[in-house]
Amino acid sequence: MNSARLVSAGLLLAALAAGTLADRPQSRPPLWIGGYRVLAADFHVHSYPLSAGTLAPWDLVLEARRQSLDAISITGHNQVEAGLWGRWFARLVGGPTVIPGEEIHAPGYHMIAAGIHSTISWRNTAAQSIAEIHAQGGVAIAAHPVRGFWAAFDPQAMASLDASEIMQPVVYSFKYGARELREFYQRAPLAAIGSSDYHGMGPLGLCRTYVFARDSSEQSILEAIRGRRTVVYDGDGSAWGDSQLIQLASGRLRGREPQPSGSLDLFSRAAGLLGLIGFLMAGNRVVYSAKEKEIVPK
Amino acid sequence: MAQPPSHPDAWLAIRRPLLVAVVLGCAVSLMTSGRLSLRLAAPATLYWTFVPLLEIAGLAAVWPWKRSPVSFARAIDLFFASNTPWSLWFCAFAGVWAFFPPARVYAWTSSPWPWYPPALAIGLWSACLDFRFFRDIPGRTPARACRDLAVQRFIAWTGGVAWFMGPAAWQVFASRFGL
Repeated sequence: MNSARLVSAGLLLAALAAGTLADRPQSRPPLWIGGYRVLAADFHVHSYPLSAGTLAPWDLVLEARRQSLDAISITGHNQVEAGLWGRWFARLVGGPTVIPGEEIHAPGYHMIAAGIHSTISWRNTAAQSIAEIHAQGGVAIAAHPVRGFWAAFDPQAMASLDASEIMQPVVYSFKYGARELREFYQRAPLAAIGSSDYHGMGPLGLCRTYVFARDSSEQSILEAIRGRRTVVYDGDGSAWGDSQLIQLASGRLRGREPQPSGSLDLFSRAAGLLGLIGFLMAGNRVVYSAKEKEIVPK
Repeated sequence: MAQPPSHPDAWLAIRRPLLVAVVLGCAVSLMTSGRLSLRLAAPATLYWTFVPLLEIAGLAAVWPWKRSPVSFARAIDLFFASNTPWSLWFCAFAGVWAFFPPARVYAWTSSPWPWYPPALAIGLWSACLDFRFFRDIPGRTPARACRDLAVQRFIAWTGGVAWFMGPAAWQVFASRFGL
């Protein structure tokens, strides 16, 4: 191994050591407001494989702890199995609460089915999907309902829809995102939901929902969504959701979001990137000799 | 003239594919948490071995087994040299997510220009390197090298999309073609 590779390997190891040391859960005492247990939740999380996520369900459970999330819904694309695996692992390690779910990835709409146990077909209409979700005891959340998806939510679907994502990375990605999500949310009395639509880019829980539940169980969380007892903060710091609960919480929720990263994190990411790039550049030839075949014994 | 590789075949076959998986695993950790932690990087490296494995499967499908000019292990090692541009692109992509606030990076993703042209350029660069590989190592004709490249890419990329995207990819495909 040449010296450049040795230095790069040293940087990588130092980065891993620093990052692993900094990698601790941010535990906080449970928060009770107005007789409700207030839970930070992310209801739109994708896993690996088969759902365009980068981490397996069990990794998501551990990552949710690091991000101070009390509950997540693992929502596989058109499949619920990943969520069931996640719930099994979360119960094994003592939380957070995992609600099995599915992102129904249909041609005209995307919908989060949280709290279901069997896969729901993407060939359904939105209204049919909502009926199936309710029959399985779950809640139906419109996923990133930008204008292109509105036509699928006919009056029948809107009348039975439980919730809608009002805060979602699409709000950051497109100028029209925030406006269209708010317009959709205001079409019916829905629970406000903030979700990260986690695919591996950016942190889990980047956008989150504060749920005012009786306790931290799956059933209590679903019941709170049906009762519209949620609060979401948008990028400007404005609160959305139940106005009474927003007043009751009066700023106590923002302080519970994850703390900014520290110097160990900064060192880990800088040294890690330098180490990786150094390793790739040092001795890992991109162009090989045209005579390569002549120098290899047959 | 360079010396013949002194590494044993097994190491030769895995060293560059392993580097691809490690880069992807570290990128996952950096993008998610802004740090390199064993808790994230180690399992992610394991999961993302599907990328080099599918690339090897694609190479195996077009490799001239009966009149192989070099061992298949050596062929893998040489073939994966063309992954370096992709790996550097992933490092840059992960670095952007690790160093900047996610809201700002999402805002940057609204424009395809910072992402797609570099990715397209790297895709072309990588394809040129692989074309040269098929010309120089198995000694393919230009037409046959193009065919090998297309078959290798088809196997690796469709397999990757199916494994990574799963049922959503099927829904898009089925909806598009009325299945």
